[in-house]
Amino acid sequence: MNSTMFDRLRVNFLGLLILGVSLLTSFSAQALPAFARQTGQNCVACHAGGQFPELTPYGRLFKLTGYTMGSRAIPVSAMAVASVTKNANSSLAGPKDGLPVLGTGSVFLAGKITDNVGIFAQGTFNSYGGDSGYQTTWGSDNFDLRFADRFIDANSDLIFGFSLNNNPTVSDVWNSAPAWIIYAPTMFGTSGPDSGPVVNGLGAQVAGLTAYAMWDQFLYAEVGAYKTANGAFSFLSQGTNDAGQTKLAGSNPYVRLAVTHEWGPHNIMIGVFGLDVGIHADPLDLTSPVTKFRDRGVDAQYQYLLDPHTVSAQFSYVRETTGNGIASGYSTNDSNTLNSLRIKGTYIYQAKYGASLSYFSTTGTTDSGLYSGISATNSPDTQGWTPEIFYTPIQNIRIGLQYYAYQKFDGASTSYNGTNNAKDNNNAFLYVWGAY
Amino acid sequence: MKPSTHKINRTNTPSRSLENKMKGIQIAVIMALGVLAAGCSNVERSRDLNNASVSPAVTAVQVCSNCHGVDGNPKSPNFPRLAGQQEDYVVTQLKNFRNHNRSDPEGFEYMWGLSRNLTDEQIAGLAKYYAKQIPRHHEEVLDPQLVANGKEIYEKGVPEQNVIACISCHGDKAQGIGAFPRLGHQHADYIEKQLDVFQNTQGRPGTAMEFVVHPLTGPNKQAVAAYLQSFPE
Repeated sequence: MNSTMFDRLRVNFLGLLILGVSLLTSFSAQALPAFARQTGQNCVACHAGGQFPELTPYGRLFKLTGYTMGSRAIPVSAMAVASVTKNANSSLAGPKDGLPVLGTGSVFLAGKITDNVGIFAQGTFNSYGGDSGYQTTWGSDNFDLRFADRFIDANSDLIFGFSLNNNPTVSDVWNSAPAWIIYAPTMFGTSGPDSGPVVNGLGAQVAGLTAYAMWDQFLYAEVGAYKTANGAFSFLSQGTNDAGQTKLAGSNPYVRLAVTHEWGPHNIMIGVFGLDVGIHADPLDLTSPVTKFRDRGVDAQYQYLLDPHTVSAQFSYVRETTGNGIASGYSTNDSNTLNSLRIKGTYIYQAKYGASLSYFSTTGTTDSGLYSGISATNSPDTQGWTPEIFYTPIQNIRIGLQYYAYQKFDGASTSYNGTNNAKDNNNAFLYVWGAY
Repeated sequence: MKPSTHKINRTNTPSRSLENKMKGIQIAVIMALGVLAAGCSNVERSRDLNNASVSPAVTAVQVCSNCHGVDGNPKSPNFPRLAGQQEDYVVTQLKNFRNHNRSDPEGFEYMWGLSRNLTDEQIAGLAKYYAKQIPRHHEEVLDPQLVANGKEIYEKGVPEQNVIACISCHGDKAQGIGAFPRLGHQHADYIEKQLDVFQNTQGRPGTAMEFVVHPLTGPNKQAVAAYLQSFPE
């Protein structure tokens, strides 16, 4: 990061602080989001080190039992992120580069409905959404409506349930799942690399029903099917127009298995998942040819939770194979592979001061059609690091600084698109996040 | 959060006829289901903490077990063991959480909310439930010298530092009596943190421990905590 970037960040940090203080003032009167109001507990009960969205063992049980624990409360919350993003190279910067913006705001309907039914539903206002043609400014975000029951006694413990959701792996309870391992909040108003496995890109496009079970807090299994979120399920894809929506062919299977173990203040999970989807070449023509995507993932998470220390680490590797690319016009090769690796480590002291470091790497087969106009080498390869420091002065305000450092971007380290180098995409992201 | 970009062929002609037609119907259906579902109650396996008809045994396994274990012997030292705990002590603590008279950080963060709507009968029932559970021996082996030092302090105190013997109130098997809690087999980390609360804060007012713990040094706290965690079967 050069000195000019630091200067701009310093100036804008003042603006963010003022915003943060005003958020603090308005939130401190009743400073607990909907789930915390329901259980009456502090955020650290469910979120590791108070760090949203990573769940503690207790938070995982809260989610698996369908958000039904506690006393029914007003099930409404709000969340907002104000931020400054500064790109290393101004020619790649967004229109608000270096300026404070109110990036996203969300409203949540979240909480216990009955003894067995609960909901976590998010609608998000996205200031930049209209620019991408992908979403309008208001859109459906994470949605998870659950039915859950639990048979537990001295000898056995079986939690089972169903989830209606709009994003494969959003129903998962570990932070190494694709829906959760990404930074939250994450860089805003700037373009990331173009390629990722399909499991990362189906949020608020699809509707899925999954059935899950957790046996003796050891073995977790989930199976389900996803289809296009249209017709009766179009409320799950609001904000995405018909032509912009990913259209799945029929029902598409999702499977997840994980084992978990807790000893003393430590807990660990190792899991796998699989997702097969077929996507129509033309979203407006449901008789158009279908590209097949097959994602296979292995992931792991470790946590050490003992006040005042929180340590956590995540590992995620997803291998995607695509097929029928020639007939669907998706790619020049009929079949391609794409591998996505993410490793992240976090330390938090007193649920207040935190730092994390993440490594990401995408590799894949070259394809002159699929990556034309994006990569001069016709390759999806991207690699880089994201360090972050953050401070949580009170439990529902977080101030953080992330830096995205790319070693490779869309296929190469230098001249990846014939003009720019990977590091031209480096950016610093300073944010104030608040929830109520 | 916004889904990441994936290269999928798209055109940009807005059209959303079906969605709009279905929207009103969906909202009506969801509201009707919501009203129907709101009437449902499942007291045999409920996690509702504001329903006097849910029995303490159900609350213990459906809610409390998430941290304290079904048998009151949690694995994580973040949460105290409650197996075999004195009934009077548990009743007093739950009422102190409910009334906000106990405000040590973990108590405030976890227990104020959970206890806020419990009835006196439910509190009494939860105390009975845990009193009946069997405390389990810890598998972790701690430094034998530290444990031996802790045993000495527990049984004899440290007379030259005006530390009285813990055994005089908490019993020869560290089983406690009445308002004096069982300490045997408790997590060492929990014991140490609570001794700090008594010594350095007003988080647990109104007990003799505020005075008793005053002369205890850091190493002595660590030793007695290690002894109590390693308490023989």
